[in-house]
Amino acid sequence: MEPRADWRAHVERDLGFTFHTIDGAPYWDETACYEFSAAEIDAIEAATGELEQMSLALVDRVIEAGGPAFERLRIPPQAWESIASSWQTQQRNLYGRFDFRFDGSGPPKLLEYNADTPTALFEASVVQWDWLQAHWPERDQFNSLHEKLIAAWKNFGLGKDKLYFAAVKGHTEDEGTVEYLRDTAVQAGLDTARIAIEDIGWDGWRFTDFDDQGIRALFKLYPWEWLVQEEFGQHLLSGAAMVIEPAWKMILSNKAALALLWEMAPDHPNLLPSFLEPGQITGKVVRKPIFSREGANIQVLDGGAVVAETPGAYGAEGFVYQEHAPLPVFDGNYPVIGSWVIASEPAGIGIREDSTAITRDSSRFIPHFFS
Amino acid sequence: MSRGAPRMKKSRSIKLVLLGGASLALAACGDDVPPDARFFASAEECAVTYSEAACQDAFKKSEQTFAAEAPKFTRQEECEAQFGAGNCETKEAANASGGGMGSFIMPMMMGYMMGNLMSGGFNRPVYRGPNNSAMMGNQGKFYNVGSFAGAGKSANFSASPVTQTQRGGFGTAGRSYASAGG
Repeated sequence: MEPRADWRAHVERDLGFTFHTIDGAPYWDETACYEFSAAEIDAIEAATGELEQMSLALVDRVIEAGGPAFERLRIPPQAWESIASSWQTQQRNLYGRFDFRFDGSGPPKLLEYNADTPTALFEASVVQWDWLQAHWPERDQFNSLHEKLIAAWKNFGLGKDKLYFAAVKGHTEDEGTVEYLRDTAVQAGLDTARIAIEDIGWDGWRFTDFDDQGIRALFKLYPWEWLVQEEFGQHLLSGAAMVIEPAWKMILSNKAALALLWEMAPDHPNLLPSFLEPGQITGKVVRKPIFSREGANIQVLDGGAVVAETPGAYGAEGFVYQEHAPLPVFDGNYPVIGSWVIASEPAGIGIREDSTAITRDSSRFIPHFFS
Repeated sequence: MSRGAPRMKKSRSIKLVLLGGASLALAACGDDVPPDARFFASAEECAVTYSEAACQDAFKKSEQTFAAEAPKFTRQEECEAQFGAGNCETKEAANASGGGMGSFIMPMMMGYMMGNLMSGGFNRPVYRGPNNSAMMGNQGKFYNVGSFAGAGKSANFSASPVTQTQRGGFGTAGRSYASAGG
C-alpha cells in the first residue's frame, strides 16, 4: 500500500521516532500492513495470556526445585538466592514479548519468549497506532500498550524514589525504547532520570548517578545474564537497588526455558516440542543458543545437516533444540508476531517481517489492524 | 461506532511528554537522599531503633566484614602507626569461614554503621583511629569518618569520606554485541 507522503518528517517531529531507518535500510515499513480477523486476534490474545500464566508457574517450579533446575537453565549459582528472593517477595514485572509463528489456520506457536529485554515496543505501541489513526481511525488494532504501561507503572510502589532508566550508550534503538518507557512512567507520575548503563557508579554501599545521588530503583534495558557476570553484578544481587525487570525474569529470558515449558506442558497447542538435548526431534530442527538475542547464531538442521544459519557471538552456554515450524510466507516475506504482556496481561502485538526465514535485528516492522 | 459496540482493543488516545513535539522540560530536582546509616556501639543499642533480629544480623555481618577486612599486623607499632596509640589489640584472627589463622595485632571494632533495611541493609564495622577518630574501611583503605570524642560516641558519622565512587562496573558484556535488547 501507499506510505503516507510525509511519514518520515511526521514520525520524527511528532513522535520522536528516530530509528525508522537502520543502517540505511527501512526498519519501519508502511508499504504493507497485516489484516487480521477478530477471531485471529482473540486466538493470539488467549494464547498470550495462557503462556504467561504457564511461564509464571514455571518460575515457581524452578525455584521450588532449586539448584538442579537453575543449572539446566545455565544460571550461575551466585544469582540463585537473589532470583528466589525476588520471587518470594513478589517483585513486580513490567513487560515481556512472546514471539509467535501464526498463519491464521492453526493455533499460534511460541518460538521464544523475550521476558527480560524485549524491544520494538515504541513501534508497536505508538507508531503503528498513529499510522492506523491516519489511515482508518474507525478501525481497531490489538494494541493498548500505551495505556497499560502507564497503568502498570503506578503499581511498583516506588513512592518518592526516583526511577533511573538505563540503556547501553550510543545504541539509538535501545535508547529510544528506554526513553519511550520513561515517557510513560512520567505520565504515571513517577520521578525519573536517564543514565547510561556504563555510567552507573558504586560508592561502596549504593549505586550512584553522576551527581553521586543514590540509585534505589533501576529500569535496565540490559540482560540480567550480562549484569550478573559484571563487576557490579554482586551488588545488584545483594539487593542494593530495586530492579525492573526483577531477577526472577532470568528464569524466563533464557531459551532453555522453552524446553522446561514443554516438559511441564507436553503437547500444549501453543508450544513447539523443545529439548535441551539433540536427537529428540525427527525432521527439521531449529538450534538456538540458550543465551541469544536478535536472531543471532540460529541454525536450522535437517537430518544433522545445516540448511540455514545466522552469524553471531552467542552459543557458549549450550543450545536448545526446537521443532522447526516454517513461517508462513506473504508476498515473499516471513512474519513473526510479537505479542506483548504488560504486568503479565496481554496488551497488543507488533509484527516483524524478514525476506528470510530467520527474523533478525534488521527485520522490518509492519503495522496491522483487524476487523 | 455502533451502539453497544465492544470496547476496542486499541489505545483510546496517546500522548507523549518526553518524545516528539510536546517535550516537557523536567526540572532536574536533585533527590537529596542523605545516607541514612547510623552508628551503633552494640546490637543492644541498635535495637532501640531497629528490630533486635535485624540488629543482631547486621552486627554479625559487620563482625564478618571485620574478620575479612581488618588489617592483621605482626608488630604492635605497625598497627598503632595507622590506628593510633592504644587502639590495637592482640586477637585470634579468623578467616571468612571462621577457621583460626593464629594470633595477630589488629585494630578494634567499636561498633558498626547500619542503614535502614529498606535501603539495602547496609552494615559495616567502625574502628577506633588516631585521636579518638572513627574509621571505616572501603576497598582495603581506611578513612576517618568522625569522632568518638565527647558526645560523639553514638553520633551520626559522616559517611562521605568513605565514598570512592567507581564507575564502569556495568556494560562490559554489552560491548561485544550489537544490541542489549531483543
